[in-house]
Amino acid sequence: MVSGGNASSLPLVGGKPEPTIKELSSPGRRASKFPKLDVPEVKINHESLKKERARLPEVSEHDLVMHYSRLAHRNFAVDLGFYPLGSCTMKYNPRFADSIASDTRFANMHPSMPEEFTQGCLKVYYEIGNYLCEITGMDDASFQPPAGASGELTGLLIIKKYLEVNNLNHKTEIIVPDSAHGTNPASARMAGFTVVEVETDSRGMVNIEKLKEIVNDNTAGLMLTNPNTGGLFEEEILTISQIIHNAGGLLYYDGANLNAIVGASRPGDMGFDIVHSNLHKTFATPHGGGGPGSGPVAVKSFLREFLPGPIAENKDRKYNWYHPENSIGRMHGYHGNFLVTLRALVYMKLLGKEGLDKLGAYAVLNARYLSSKVSKIIPLAYDEPCMHEFVASVKDLKKSHKIKAYDVGKALLDKGFHSPTIYFPLIVEEALMFEPTETQSKETLDDLAENLKLIVDDLQKDDTVLEDYPKNLPVGRPNELIPAKYLTVNWGDFELLEITE
Amino acid sequence: MFVPHSELDLKKMFDELKINSLDDLFTHIPDALLLENGLDLPESLSELESIDYFDDIAVRNKSDLVCFAGGGHYDVYLPQTVKSLTMRPEFMTSYTPYQAEISQGILQVLFEFQSLVCDLTDMELANASLYDGATSIAEAISVAINKTKRDGVVISSGLNPNSKKVINTLIDRNKFNLNYVELENYLFPSNFEFNESQAAFVVSYPHYEGSCQDLTTLVERAKEKGLVTICYVDPSMLGVLVTPGQMGFDIIVAEGQSLGSPLSFGGPTVGWFATKKEFARLVPGRLIGESRDKDGNKSYVMTLRAREQDIRREKASSNICTNQTLNAIGSAIHLSWLGPEGMYEMGYHAIQKANYMRKQLIKNGYVIPNDDSSLREFLLEVKTDAAEVINKMGDKGFLAGILYDEKHILVAVTEKRKKIEIDHYIESIMEVDNG
Repeated sequence: MVSGGNASSLPLVGGKPEPTIKELSSPGRRASKFPKLDVPEVKINHESLKKERARLPEVSEHDLVMHYSRLAHRNFAVDLGFYPLGSCTMKYNPRFADSIASDTRFANMHPSMPEEFTQGCLKVYYEIGNYLCEITGMDDASFQPPAGASGELTGLLIIKKYLEVNNLNHKTEIIVPDSAHGTNPASARMAGFTVVEVETDSRGMVNIEKLKEIVNDNTAGLMLTNPNTGGLFEEEILTISQIIHNAGGLLYYDGANLNAIVGASRPGDMGFDIVHSNLHKTFATPHGGGGPGSGPVAVKSFLREFLPGPIAENKDRKYNWYHPENSIGRMHGYHGNFLVTLRALVYMKLLGKEGLDKLGAYAVLNARYLSSKVSKIIPLAYDEPCMHEFVASVKDLKKSHKIKAYDVGKALLDKGFHSPTIYFPLIVEEALMFEPTETQSKETLDDLAENLKLIVDDLQKDDTVLEDYPKNLPVGRPNELIPAKYLTVNWGDFELLEITE
Repeated sequence: MFVPHSELDLKKMFDELKINSLDDLFTHIPDALLLENGLDLPESLSELESIDYFDDIAVRNKSDLVCFAGGGHYDVYLPQTVKSLTMRPEFMTSYTPYQAEISQGILQVLFEFQSLVCDLTDMELANASLYDGATSIAEAISVAINKTKRDGVVISSGLNPNSKKVINTLIDRNKFNLNYVELENYLFPSNFEFNESQAAFVVSYPHYEGSCQDLTTLVERAKEKGLVTICYVDPSMLGVLVTPGQMGFDIIVAEGQSLGSPLSFGGPTVGWFATKKEFARLVPGRLIGESRDKDGNKSYVMTLRAREQDIRREKASSNICTNQTLNAIGSAIHLSWLGPEGMYEMGYHAIQKANYMRKQLIKNGYVIPNDDSSLREFLLEVKTDAAEVINKMGDKGFLAGILYDEKHILVAVTEKRKKIEIDHYIESIMEVDNG
């Protein structure tokens, strides 16, 4: 079949390796050119100046452009095909937002300028703060955190400071579901808390009875995504919120899955006190091959005084920075990832009320539709209606045919699709987590399901060739042990290894 | 918007799910939690309307000032090749290279980035980026604390003041003793005594104030007492400066904006982190390694993953997940574009022009308190209120520098500044700063 999201026509050509930029270097070549020095040249003596040149490649501009363009060719992307990577919300990133973020009147602003010079940047922060608070049901937001994990740490430091100020220092335990993202426990530990895991029940939701057993006077708070990492809406969220609040703890919302509920429901109304959002997921800013993101934190008014600053406010028709009085301090050297924030505001403006009201619904529609198709091929982990993503499990196929989630993911690459997230959440054996997002068409969803069926049928016919997948890409599965054992992390390391071996 | 479904598509999808409307998707959510009338937000704008909307915001910025501000973020020339190549959709719209076989592009550029950073700083192992310079220092201090199990940290006061604030947020001051050492005559005291309760020695090179000194002996003495030595370096000056590796540092961190990213109002930029291989298992963030597939083809893959949060959870070396890959790609391309000669000229022109500017200022009666130790950045002592001077210089078309204190402005000169701009700057400041 034909679909807009199938990238099997990709020119990921050729079996030859791309040399490194260093291998392309030839003495005396250069791409850069600077104006002639226009001040009188004098001899400068300083103990920190060196005589030799830096060790850098010497390449022509055309060689450089060809090299990095060819490397771009060797990479899958949202702009090339369907990228159903669960938990990462790989939706279409509107081109238009790039043009605004490239405008030199934003991109060339120095971060240390006085407020009077940067009224435009401050207005961007002020406006998006209002949007984000309305969308999440919170009262005030800080855009200091440059990514989701930083937002989580911010939220936990806010909890810590709140407890300190209220003389509740004995509250040292943060409860995290066993299905949570790894960043949750890592951030809690960095903030100095002890991590206590709460089990997931057979329906795939927080086990309320177990939660009641764990919660005690030392409970500082609970970190939760809703929908959770199984893609399920925590239907007992109001009960959970009550349990935590009754124990004097705070509720933290991990915004990784916010895309599912935008316009339908709000964390603030569910009882959450602190929310971080991933602008690069929910609000469509490009993921950049791994970053940059932006992880603003929004809070209920009683926590406003603890937010990291500075925060933009509007007084007497002028924008200025304010520093919350009991702030946890800075999370970023300047103002967080401004150009990412700006792109997210552009997206919010383009969608407006009409688009944002229906955003979550369309994301859920696509996931529910795809899950219906996939469930006929691979069993789903939970027999519950999914939200924006869902988890399937090949644990039975592993028993009968040695087929692992890993193999299914690799085989999908050959068919022109990115793999879903595999082996997450950790509590589901042989998990495949699909998040289609709202921007893929019905044909693309059908096409993925059709190819998944072909793969599972093929693999069942001949399970001896599993490790051959992928077969159609420039490289097969890299040996993961070599770099881990020999630390081949720098050019020359591998060649050195070959000589020594 | 950006949702592809026609009415016909919707009907087919609803049929598959045996529902009648979008609302039916949420019947399992408690009614009390469903928004009745949606969000209280303005209507959507078309692209055309958005152009006007954002134009109205952009004009509120004083964006046409000639920039003499630095402090870690420098107005260097960013070549079009860097801008164009980092806008390649394959780089921009992909994510973390979890699936190595279809991510060789990102993996190889990041591997080249790591290698270029190592070559430039004389280190052995660099990660694939952290958020920015400030957070990178805090991550480096955490590595030192984990390595030494000690609780004292010696930090030079000659650091970007915002970086100090970030360190104070991220390093728990109830557990660790942060000892900020004042500079003497704008240099780190060469007779400073380290001791065995200290985990790390953190110093900026050059200092925030622009002064620069050979730190070799201090590094040696800190290492004798078992401290991990951390250098926060201005990477755009490494075409002319002795490298941190040559001075013996264990870890270098940097604000990488000046290599590959526009000023961006401070973000997104990129934090660099490089070290010796003996620290490999304590390194925060992603690391790319070179390997081979079963047919012997060169291939790259994320490595030492057991340090990371998605595997190690609360025992991870850091909580970082999303990083600043696209900016790291910018750094790699910019460094390749510069080459050894370009890197040298960028630094050499900057210090020649800064030197010219200092001499002209002094000739016109100004005091530069760190004239003899500074290179491309220096303190300018003004006669009236420094904040006022910066404001009035804005009306003259200049970003005069960064407010340092009531009497001083921190002035940075890049290779991009012209003699005529420097001359006009001096004429203008003499007009506005007459108390």
